[in-house]
Amino acid sequence: MMDMRKKHPGAAKVAPYCYIAPITLILVTFVIGSVIGSIILSFTKYNIMTEPIFQGSKNYVKLMSDIKFIKALKNTLGLVVLIVPLQTVLGVVISVFLVANRHRFLGKLANSVVFIPVICAPAVAGVVWRELLNGKIEIVEKFFGLFGIQPSMLLGNARTALITVGMVAIWKWMGYYVVIYTSGLLAIPDTYYEAAKVDGAGKVRCFLSITVPLLRPTIILGIFLSMASSLQCFDLIFNLTGGGPNNASTTLVVYAYSKCFGSGDAGYAMAISNILFVVILAVALLQRDMMKRKTSEVS
Amino acid sequence: MKKKLLSMLLITAMSVTFTAGCGGSGNDTAKTEDGAASGSGSSESGEKVLDVWVPPLDDDTVNNWGGLMGDWEEENGCKVNITVVPWDKYEETYTTALNSGEGPDVGYMYNEMFPTYIDAGAVTDMSGYVTDEDKAGYKYLANGFMMDGQYGWPLVTGVPFVLYYNEEILADLDESAPETWEDFERICKAATKDTDGDGEIDQFGYACGMSTSDVGAMQILNAYYYSALWQNGGQIYEDDLKKVAFADEAGTEAVTWLKDMTQYMNPDFMSLSWSDAFATVFGEGKAAFGVYRSSQTDGTVFAETYPDVKWDFVTSLKNKGFGTFGATDCLTLMSAAEDQDLAMDFIKYVTGAAFMEQYHAKCPGAALTNSEPYVGDEKMEKIYTDDLDKWHGLQVGPCGVDILTQLSADFQGIMSGELSVKDGLKEAEDYANDLLAEYWADKE
Repeated sequence: MMDMRKKHPGAAKVAPYCYIAPITLILVTFVIGSVIGSIILSFTKYNIMTEPIFQGSKNYVKLMSDIKFIKALKNTLGLVVLIVPLQTVLGVVISVFLVANRHRFLGKLANSVVFIPVICAPAVAGVVWRELLNGKIEIVEKFFGLFGIQPSMLLGNARTALITVGMVAIWKWMGYYVVIYTSGLLAIPDTYYEAAKVDGAGKVRCFLSITVPLLRPTIILGIFLSMASSLQCFDLIFNLTGGGPNNASTTLVVYAYSKCFGSGDAGYAMAISNILFVVILAVALLQRDMMKRKTSEVS
Repeated sequence: MKKKLLSMLLITAMSVTFTAGCGGSGNDTAKTEDGAASGSGSSESGEKVLDVWVPPLDDDTVNNWGGLMGDWEEENGCKVNITVVPWDKYEETYTTALNSGEGPDVGYMYNEMFPTYIDAGAVTDMSGYVTDEDKAGYKYLANGFMMDGQYGWPLVTGVPFVLYYNEEILADLDESAPETWEDFERICKAATKDTDGDGEIDQFGYACGMSTSDVGAMQILNAYYYSALWQNGGQIYEDDLKKVAFADEAGTEAVTWLKDMTQYMNPDFMSLSWSDAFATVFGEGKAAFGVYRSSQTDGTVFAETYPDVKWDFVTSLKNKGFGTFGATDCLTLMSAAEDQDLAMDFIKYVTGAAFMEQYHAKCPGAALTNSEPYVGDEKMEKIYTDDLDKWHGLQVGPCGVDILTQLSADFQGIMSGELSVKDGLKEAEDYANDLLAEYWADKE
């Protein structure tokens, strides 16, 4: 390698740039380009069909007094508050169970089953759950009835619609987070647990003093991935409730979509999207900061 | 090193290919700009091409329409390209296509869609093409006149939402078909009861479904709201379209009456769509009344679908007047059409009696012209004869989609008890009037 670098020093310098050129080009064109485009267009009156007209910060000012935007923002944050803790706690618990039983038949089966909803397209999952919860299927009615729940009332009630959407989202993506947490759990050396057992630590102590601290970077990653995906949740909501009833499950993405393609107000829709972008960016930066801090603590 | 150089070359080649792919060819651009790609341009063989976009109008629109196009295509030396755009991506497809200059020459739009496209100049006012013969011949041409122009040429209409009733339930109650709100309310009250004595109400007055998840926000307005509003003498906009009128006294009374009727509805009415409610509640004989979008073939279809239900219908109840919603979906002449006369000729051809007679023989629908005979079940014919003035389309106004979507949401809030009638209508009114104020300020 050293010889080659000496013989062709120019090529060695250029090579890394060539390797990253394709993905950089894709990112710049489709990701950064569209973000910049969206920011610019959010300062315009734009209906997609005609030329955009610059109107300064009017869209952003209008957002501040838009009752639908405020409701959508509250719903979006509500969905995050609902999904992230449950998804994290349940994800870790299920992963611990799966890792502990990974050599048993039921453990292997559960490992596969938990991932099935992830493979299913969100739109399909939305339609399936909508059908399950519309009161037409007697066995589903009876099953929910055991818990005192009338499934046919869940999506039609403004108080329960968002919670139901959140539960379906948790079900849908649980497998994804279980995979992440499982890989984190498998990376913890067994010797730590063996040493703890020798010292007389029980299962709960092992979990709290070994598993949780060593899994913390993975949990932080899981939390932020879960936050980002909850903030962007669209297909499920669109197919489960369409944002209703009375906008009770309209999130920022659903609202931006309806403004863009329903009302033809793309400039305003971009302003909504940019607010969401800022929130997600803040979440990502926070995650990076926390991960860095964690790494420095470990080192 | 050779491997490294080779991989660098490959990567460079990939990058160049990718860049070229993003750029598009000059020919493509020219094609879009000169309209050939999207309009009444020419195919490679030099034949004129007319692009027509419609939603699924029947189970095989391309073939059902395409098979009847031969004469017109031959006469005009033009190939008609029919594209069926699925409903779930309908507006999205139009807006994105028009943005990239790939839209059709002749489009198909429902009333709520028009304002956005009229404002954007994407559709053409066809007033200049309307002849006295058209005025005399077309039954619903006036429904395509909106925002001071003939932007729509009605194609699918005559399927109003009507009130079906269960003849057996009404007979048990010694009642006949309701005519007024009082009749309707009285029968609903009497019909809502526990019929098997288990202590639970299992028969309802009014089968309703106000969920919009799978049918779209406008549908609950179409099915339930407009009829109450219009029957009580209300309307959506004020006549000058500067403000909305739905929260006035008539509008408030109408919604209050509907809200009162919820006590006679199936308890899961907020979770079902209007069509599900009709099928699973009224269709199973569990309700005295149900609302459904009528069709000329309901007599035949319902006999198969709901064989145990003896039914009939009233087109509209009466309070201060009659009224129920009948969609007027129209063909429209897109501004991008290169040969506007040709596109207009096509619109008149497919909506004309000769074409429609053949088409409706395959796929029954309401006659669009006076010379086209009624095709369908005898039972439903009164909608197009005696009751023709009891149903109509929607008043088209600016910001229609936004205003009606918010109204639909607030209407849901009112019906579910989350909002009071006053607060719900006020919220919808304020939202609408703010939008209209901004719209008209922009216009000035």
